[in-house]
Order: sequence, then C-alpha cells, then structure tokens
Amino acid sequence: MWAPPVRRTLLILTLRLLFLHPAAPGACPGSSQELLTQLWKLANLMQHPDSLLEPYIQVQGLEESGLAGSCRERPGAFPSLQALRALGRRAFLRTLSAQLGPVLRLLAALQQEAPDPAWEEAGRYLLGIRNNVHCLALLLPGPPETPGPTPARPGTPPPPPAAPNSFARKLEGCRLLQGFHRFMHAAGQVLGEWRAAPGPRSRRHSPRRAVRGGGRRPRGRQPPGRGRRREPRGQPPR
Amino acid sequence: MAPVAVFQAAFLLAWLPLSTYQSEAVLSEPLSLSVHINSTQQSLHLKWSVHNMTHPELQMAFQIEISRMNKSNVIWVENYTTTVHQDQTLRRMWKSELPLECATHFVRIRGKEDDPRMPQRRVWSSWSSWVKADAQSWLGPDPLVFPKEKQVEEGSDVTLCYVSRHVQSHVVCTLNGIPVPGEQLDPHVFVVTLRNISFVRNTGSNFFCEEDRNHTQPGLVIFVAKVLEEPKGFSCETRDWKTLNCTWDPGSDTDSWKFPSQRNLFESFSGKNQSCEQKNWCSWQVDSQKIYNFTLLAKNVFRERRVTLLFHLAHRVHPMTPFNVALKRVSATNATMTWTVHPLGNNFTLLCQVELHGEGRVVQQHNVSTWGNGQYSFRGLAPATEYRARVRCATAQHFWKWSEWADQEFSTLQAAPSTAPDVWRSVRPTLGSCNVTLFWKPLSRSQAHGEIQFYTVATELLHTPSSSQLFPIPSPANGTELSLDGCSHQIRVTASNGAGTSPASMMVIARDLGDPWNPGNQTAEVKEGRAQGTGDGVSMSWKPPPGNVLGYVVEWCDGPQDSPCDLRWESLGPNATSTVIKSDAFRPGVQYNFRIYGISPERMAYLLERKTGYSQELAPADNPHVTVNNLTSHSFTLSWEDYATDAQPGFIRGYRVYLRSQAEQCLPGFTKAVLPDNTACCKHDIDNPEQKTFMVKNLQPESFYEFLVTPHTRAGEGPAQAFTNVITTRDQHPRVLIRILLPMVFPLLLLTILCYVKSQWIKETCYPDIPDPHKSSVLSLLKPKESPHPSIMSVRDCVPDALEVVNKAARRSLAEVERPKHDYLHLLPTGSSAGLGPGICFENLTYNQAAPDAGPCGPSPAPHPAPPGQGGLLTSPGGLLRSPSYVNSPGESPAGEAPLNYVSQVAPPTSGHKDSPPTALLELAPRSEYRTQMAVPPGLASPTPDEKSHLWAVSLLDAGGPRR
Repeated sequence: MWAPPVRRTLLILTLRLLFLHPAAPGACPGSSQELLTQLWKLANLMQHPDSLLEPYIQVQGLEESGLAGSCRERPGAFPSLQALRALGRRAFLRTLSAQLGPVLRLLAALQQEAPDPAWEEAGRYLLGIRNNVHCLALLLPGPPETPGPTPARPGTPPPPPAAPNSFARKLEGCRLLQGFHRFMHAAGQVLGEWRAAPGPRSRRHSPRRAVRGGGRRPRGRQPPGRGRRREPRGQPPR
Repeated sequence: MAPVAVFQAAFLLAWLPLSTYQSEAVLSEPLSLSVHINSTQQSLHLKWSVHNMTHPELQMAFQIEISRMNKSNVIWVENYTTTVHQDQTLRRMWKSELPLECATHFVRIRGKEDDPRMPQRRVWSSWSSWVKADAQSWLGPDPLVFPKEKQVEEGSDVTLCYVSRHVQSHVVCTLNGIPVPGEQLDPHVFVVTLRNISFVRNTGSNFFCEEDRNHTQPGLVIFVAKVLEEPKGFSCETRDWKTLNCTWDPGSDTDSWKFPSQRNLFESFSGKNQSCEQKNWCSWQVDSQKIYNFTLLAKNVFRERRVTLLFHLAHRVHPMTPFNVALKRVSATNATMTWTVHPLGNNFTLLCQVELHGEGRVVQQHNVSTWGNGQYSFRGLAPATEYRARVRCATAQHFWKWSEWADQEFSTLQAAPSTAPDVWRSVRPTLGSCNVTLFWKPLSRSQAHGEIQFYTVATELLHTPSSSQLFPIPSPANGTELSLDGCSHQIRVTASNGAGTSPASMMVIARDLGDPWNPGNQTAEVKEGRAQGTGDGVSMSWKPPPGNVLGYVVEWCDGPQDSPCDLRWESLGPNATSTVIKSDAFRPGVQYNFRIYGISPERMAYLLERKTGYSQELAPADNPHVTVNNLTSHSFTLSWEDYATDAQPGFIRGYRVYLRSQAEQCLPGFTKAVLPDNTACCKHDIDNPEQKTFMVKNLQPESFYEFLVTPHTRAGEGPAQAFTNVITTRDQHPRVLIRILLPMVFPLLLLTILCYVKSQWIKETCYPDIPDPHKSSVLSLLKPKESPHPSIMSVRDCVPDALEVVNKAARRSLAEVERPKHDYLHLLPTGSSAGLGPGICFENLTYNQAAPDAGPCGPSPAPHPAPPGQGGLLTSPGGLLRSPSYVNSPGESPAGEAPLNYVSQVAPPTSGHKDSPPTALLELAPRSEYRTQMAVPPGLASPTPDEKSHLWAVSLLDAGGPRR
C-alpha cells in the first residue's frame, strides 16, 4: 500500500540527484560558492515533506490510523530560523550537521523495519549535506570559531518519555521529521541569505540574539519555493 | 484380660507416632509465597517453599488459586504435583490473557503430601494468605495502554486495556483507525479484546485509546506475524557429486524485521546441522556418505515447521549441461553432432537426448547412451536448410532430471532443385505471331535446395525440334514475355541453383487445335457458374472432361474486375474436381472471375468452365432507385429496372418490398415484418433477382402508403433507408356509374311523367271502376214501393213465373265448345215464350265452360260446382243456377251516370202468360247484356277487392236480402 509513494519519492530524489553533486567524503571542491549553492539546494530539497515525512506517515500507517495530526514538532527539537540567523557561520554549520544525526538514526531504523531504497537515498542526501558542511567549514576564512551552543533554546530539549514503546517511537519519529523539514526550510533560508551576501564573511556568535529569536517563527519572506512545494505538516515550533 | 491389655498397649504405641506424624503433615503447609510480575510476558511468577518436611524428599501436591480484582473472584485453579526436597524453593509461572496492569491479582496456595509411601495421609493444608500482585501501582499520572507492545500470530486474539488514574468517561479505542468495542472493567480500566487479528503491515497495527477529558493518545503497536507455512517441494540433488543443493518453496513471505524466520538443515545419519541463509535453498557438502536423511526446520517466534527427505545420492544426480557441442561432416542431407559431458565417475552411464530442430519444430529426436563424449549422425536432412541440434543428458540407471540443453546451429549444403517450377502462361495471338507471357512461382525452400540463381526458358516449334531457343532469366524474376513466331510452340522452364538444374516444366501452346476431349468441336460451349465463398477463399467444383487429364489449372485475377489483371493460378492434380482458392488479395464483397483449364496429355490447356464468386458476400450497400408507375386508386407499380445486379457485393438473391400503411392488416401477398427500428410493417419477398418490377395491388383510394425496396444477398439485405411515400388516387367508379345511370334516368323520368299524364286512360283501360249498386239508376224506378231499401229487391219477394233455359251447356258438343256461345237465362213470363222480345238478358257464365271474352283486363274465373246444400233461389236438378245479383257493364261509367237500366228478376204480379213480358209494371229498356257476371268459387284464388265484391254480391243473393 505504501510502496507507490515511496517509489515516487525515490524517483524524485533520484532525478534531483542528477542535478546535485554533494561532496564526496574526503574530496572537497575548491569553490565555497559552489558548496554553498549545493548546500542551499539540498536544504531546499529536504524541506519538502514528501521527501521523508509523507513516506514515513504512509509506511507507519499513521494516516490510516488517524494519527497524522499528532505529528507535531516537539518544541525545541530543532533550532528556529531566528536562532539560526543568530549563529555564526561555523556555529551554523556545526548546528546543521549535528541536527542531522537523529534523522540519520531514524532512517537507519526505518531501513531495518521497512526496508526501502527511499530511506537509503534520503540517508545519502543527509550525508551529502554533512560532507558539504564539512567542506564549507574548511573554506571559511579566519580562525575557527569557538563552538557555541547550537540549540535554539538554552538548555537541552526535554527528553522523550522514558522507555517509549513502539507506538510512542512511531509518533516521535513523525514529530522528528516534521521538525526536520521545518529546520531544513529555515536552514535553506539562512543559506540563501549567505548566497545573497557579497562574499563569505565570518559573523560572531551572538548568544543573546539566539536566545531572543529561539522561540519565534520567522516571519520574513520565504524564499521562492518550487511550484510543488507543500506546507509542512503540523504546527510550527513555539 | 492380659492379651487384651497387651493389644491395647500395642495399639497405643503404634497410634501415637502416627498421630504425631499426621499433626506434623498438617503443619507442613506451604509458606513464604511470593509473587513477581513480569509485564513483558504478562505472567505471574510464583515462588514458595515448604517448611517442616518430615522427609528430606517428599512428593507433594499443591493447589494454586488466582483471583482477579478481588479475592473472591477466583479465575484460575491449578493442581500441581511435584517432588519436594528439603528447603527447596518451588516456582510456578502463570500467564495471564489480560495484561497484569489491567487488574490487581491475588494468589494463594495450599499443599498436601502426596507420597505413595504414605497413602493414608492426604489432607490438604490450610491456604496460605492471599498475596497481592498489583501492577497498577506503578502507573504514572498519564493514562496508558497495556501491554506496551504485543507480538501475535495472525488469527490470534489479543486483550488490551486502557488504564488511568482518573475515572474514565467515554473511552474510544481504535485499531488502524477503526473503532473497536470494549468494556469497562472498572472505573479506571477499559478492556478491549481483538479477535482474529490480521496482518496489515510490517510496521505493525496501530492501536490507541482516547477519551473526552484527556486528549492524550496512549497506544501500542501490535506486530502481527503471518503464519509460517510448511516448506513445500523439499528436494535435494547434486550436479557434480560434491555438493548437494536442497531447494524448497517457503510459501508466502512471513519474514519481517520483527519476526525473522530461521531455517536449518539437519542430517540425521551424520548428525550435522546447518543453518540456511536463504529462504528457499541451502547447500550441503557431499562426502563419502551415500544415503541422507534430511530434516528441514523452518521456525519463527510462534511456530516451527519440519519436512524430511530420505534419499540415495546416486538417485539425485542432475547432470550438468553438456559442452563442446559441434557438427561435423555436414553434407546436403547428413550431419554428425558431437558433445562432451562432465564426468560423474566411471559407474555412471548417461542417457542423452538429441533433437534436431528445423523451421521452428522438432524434426528428429533420438536417445544416445554415453559415458563421456557422445556423438550422433543425423540423416535425411533437407539440403540448404538451417537446423539447430541440441542435446541433454541424465543418468541412465536412476533417472532423476535432465540437464539443460546444449545446442548448436548448422546448415546443410545445397542440392539441385527437386521440383519443376510451377509455370502458367497468358497467350495473346497477334498477326503471324504469338505474344506469350510466362509466369512461374518461386520454388519453396524444400524444393529449391538452395538459392535459385536463374531460370531457363526453352521454346521450340511443335514438330520442329531444331527450332529450339533458350532464354535465361536471372532470379528472382517470376516471369517473362516472349514473342513467338506462330502460336504452336512447346515451352520448357527450368530453375537452377549452385548445385544443379531442376526438372523442366513443359507446356504446349497451340492455336485452334480444338477441344481434345471433343474432337471436331472447336467451339465447345464453356459452362459458366457460380462459386461459393468460404470467407477466406472461394470454393468451386467442375465436371472433369471425358478424356485423360494431366491436371487442372484454375486461373483468376487477384483484383477487382475493373482493375488490371494480376494473374494468379493454381495447379491441381488430375483427380481434382474441386478446390478452394485462397488468396490474401481477396476482399469481401468483390466479385472474382475464375477460369478452369484442363491440361491435356499433350500438355495443352483448354478452358473447361468459368466461375464467378465472392470470397465473402456482403449485404448490398445501396438500395435500388425505385420509380412509381401506374398509380391508381387501388394499385401502383414499383420499378427498378436500372438496378445492376452484377455490380453488387454479393449475388442478388431477390428483393424485399416493405410496405407501410395505416391499415392493420397486410395486403394479400405481404406478411408482417419488424424493421430494425422495431417498427412494424408488411413485406413481400421477390425471389427472382431478375424481376425488377412489382405491382402493389388491393390498395385503398386516396390512402397514404410508404414503401421500400431492398435487395438481399446471402449476407443480408440492403440498408434500411427511408421509405418512399405514395398516395393512391381517387376512386373512379362513381363517375362510371354516373355516366351509365344518367342516360337511364332521363327516359325513366320521361316514362313516369307520361304514365302519370295518361294514368286516367290507363286506369280506364286496365282497371275500370266497378259500379255501385246503391248508386244505380234502377233505384229510381223502385221509388213507388216505398221500401226502406229501395235499391235492392229481395229475391224472396219475387216469385218467378218461368225459367227458360236457352242453351244447355252440359250436352254441348266439341264443336260447340270450339265455337263458344253464351248461355242466357231468360226471365220470361210463365208459359209465354213468344220469341225474344224486349227484356233483360243475363249472360250466365256459370254454365259456360269457356271463359268469356273478358278482354285484357278482365279476370279469368274457372267454373266450379256449387257446394251441396247451398241452396238458393234457383235450383234445378241439372245444377246450380247462380246469378250475380248485380249487373254491370264493363267499360261503362259509374252507376247513375251511364244510362244503364237495371231490372230485377220479378214476376209480373198479374200476368198469367208466361211468354208475355211483364211490361205492365216495368217499362224495360232495350235489351241489355251482362258480360262479366260469373260465379267465383270460394277459395279458388285470393279474392281481390273486386272479387270480394262479387262474393258479397253472391251472399246478397243467398241471403235473400241486403246486409247493409
């Protein structure tokens, strides 16, 4: 029942990969602009729910069970747009890379539970983002910044309930992907702003701004999305 | 007494230890019962120990009771017997269908010694105290669903519960989005039992509950495993005598990440066990062992499936595919195939199957036994033909399976064509020469034996062998045109390939040689007939000629009649008298003409018959154009003379005339019919296709009719086109009648008027008025008597004086009859007959046998005798004298008008002389004559009013007086 959407997603991802060239591990291209563009494209690509969230909901039977509405992003799971804008470039890249971890683990679990090439492909995408982040960080001028706090809110996000059962894990994965797409959307916006800037520059980390903007959803103009982009499911983080 | 005392003492000594033992057994009740909850397994683990055991080892029986929710609600009782050792901790597990978190459970136990060594001591101990197993005490503030996770096999039942600290209200639980019913176990627990649960997806079925006041959705994922099937078709074989390959069909895929299945292969003789990675096959290393007994075990969390297989290795040999297949010594008709097989040891004889395929089918199949390299020689092959030879092998002693095929393609060498080309001709005589067009069909592969390179045409004049000419025609030509001197030639055609020349195809062309089977009849009439279509061809038959025939040729043009002739022919043997001509060029609805030739022993072709036919007849595409002629009030004539029957897509079998009118009944000759549009009408079939006119008769004048004429062939009738209207004319009969009757009316009218005008004359002539006695002028003479009825005298009042018969008719001769003479009664004075003087003369027709001359309008009374007793005034022995009592003169005017004198028969009162007329009192008028008075017998004829008047007059006479 869920095979067609997953295959469609796989086809979309494959076609998009023809136009994207994520940096392979250990081989960084020399142009930071090229890396930035690739990152921006990848972030835009992964912001769409049809790349991960919708196949997940389909595979887990959440839509059929009437649980798709429960897929709300857990507040604080991912930094907000304001928080990302407040970060310096190195911190932003580090945050971006770090936030991919839970999603990669979820994809690995999905590959075991309901094996499908779609999860593998999406995992390659995320690893490509990580590699591009790594390469871009290498090209940033100036001494490495002191790693600052990456979360959008001070402190760590509240842990999920202890020893969740499979049902809770399903819903948690759904919420995670909901937040992930929103996060990718925000990251794409920030990367778009970087691309629009005259040249790479290092911004200092501003914890105060990060705190101030951590709980709000950005209200600025969204970058022009693709025609088929859909609104993320669930509610924005508060 | 002493023995009794001794017995009592002994009894007490024996009873005391026993009673002590018994009291100790009752005390040895189970103690230290503890209960542990295993939520994952939904089980209670019981532990207890027995104290104060009298023996270090004792067989005991225990009874365990489990209550749910309250102690009195016992839901489980189990008896358990075991051997108990001193200080042993006993364990027992009880699995609950209901998750333990759904309700509090209570457990207690009791026991007794159940040792056969002491059969007399079997008293249950007292129950232990109830031990409470309360999993709900672990619950937090949020409601939860238990169990936390569930793995079941498809078709199982699952019991779940929704537990909360608060009192629940309106709990709704759903499984995969479908609400499922449940029951409230207590105000905090809602229990749902799912029956016969089915597999939905590998990621499990989602179950959760929610209630109105609490919007959390606690739930669980129920992982449902498909039922593991028993492996089917378990089989093992070896191909190289080194490895056994075992295969099976695992059935439907039941594997999932949650319920992985495992497969193991166990060989019982060697005791070896091997795990199989693949779902449907496993390999096993062969050693010196010859007999194997395998058990394949497939299992998952819920189930195990086993199948076994016992076999001898030599019986499970599946040889590998032969190799090095080659064809050697290939000629036009023979070839030898060789191959090599993989060695299986010296003890194995292989049976190899050899097949030869040609043109997509098996043409030869042979079996060959071999030990190593094998070979086989194919014979009887067709020259210049491509073949595919293949071979496969199996063990000969214990056949198990064939190996895969190993094949090799090859072609045989060319040979000379085996058959003469099929040649036909078209001859066009011209002035002094003959233009001959030769056609031949290319030889088939089996006939050509190689690629045809050229054809050779040799011509020679009949009876002049030295005039031979050769015309080589390169292939792939299929004909040539020759201009020959004269039309008497012998033509030979051969085909040649790289290996030789075919036999010659020979024909003779001669002009006006006549019919060889009817010598002297050079213009034999060629029969023409119809051929029958078969859908994909045309079937025809012909009458063979009387003499010998080498064969027949059916010739036709492969296109419509009006297109250029694409000549086709078919050669048939001498015994053929029918054939079905088939051609891809045949089209339905197209008429084709066929000519059937007979080939004489001199190889000359003579036309035997002509045939016309369709491969498939179609219904006429158009209806004829019909004109209406001779329209009258009762008929009209339909005509479609210009309809060409030969140009139709089928043989016209006739026509159908449809007629519609207002009338319910069909005209004579028509029958009811229903048109394709379900409208009713009448139809008339014309079976003669040459009849192209039809007269519709018996119509009503000035009526509306619709008609349609459609032809029909074997395939059907023409299109259902619109009907044509026709209205009959007015009726012509009234005019005719007017023309006839008018001339008749005028004369009749004229005659009527004339009759009316002359009616008085006619009346007077034919029906004169009868005089009324009352109006008679005679009455005026009787006035002196002053009688109250002076018009009629009573006969009784009269005394006749004399009666004189003037003429007696009874004795008349025949001559007198011929000359009728009136009889008269003369009333004369008595005794006086002095001749006829003036007086009244009555003509008495009663005595006259012949009718008087009554004239054209007078009645014709017949005389009849008077009835006896009808006596009257005048009777005589000779007959009845009946005289009319009135006198009238036919043709006279009514009484009173005419000068008629009526004198009654009265006797003169004083006269004594009979001859003297009584003139003293009566002054008689000159002698009058009565002509028509006669007596009419009653009943002789229907009395007319006048006749009645006569009778009335008679009765007056009889009565002797007037009646009115």
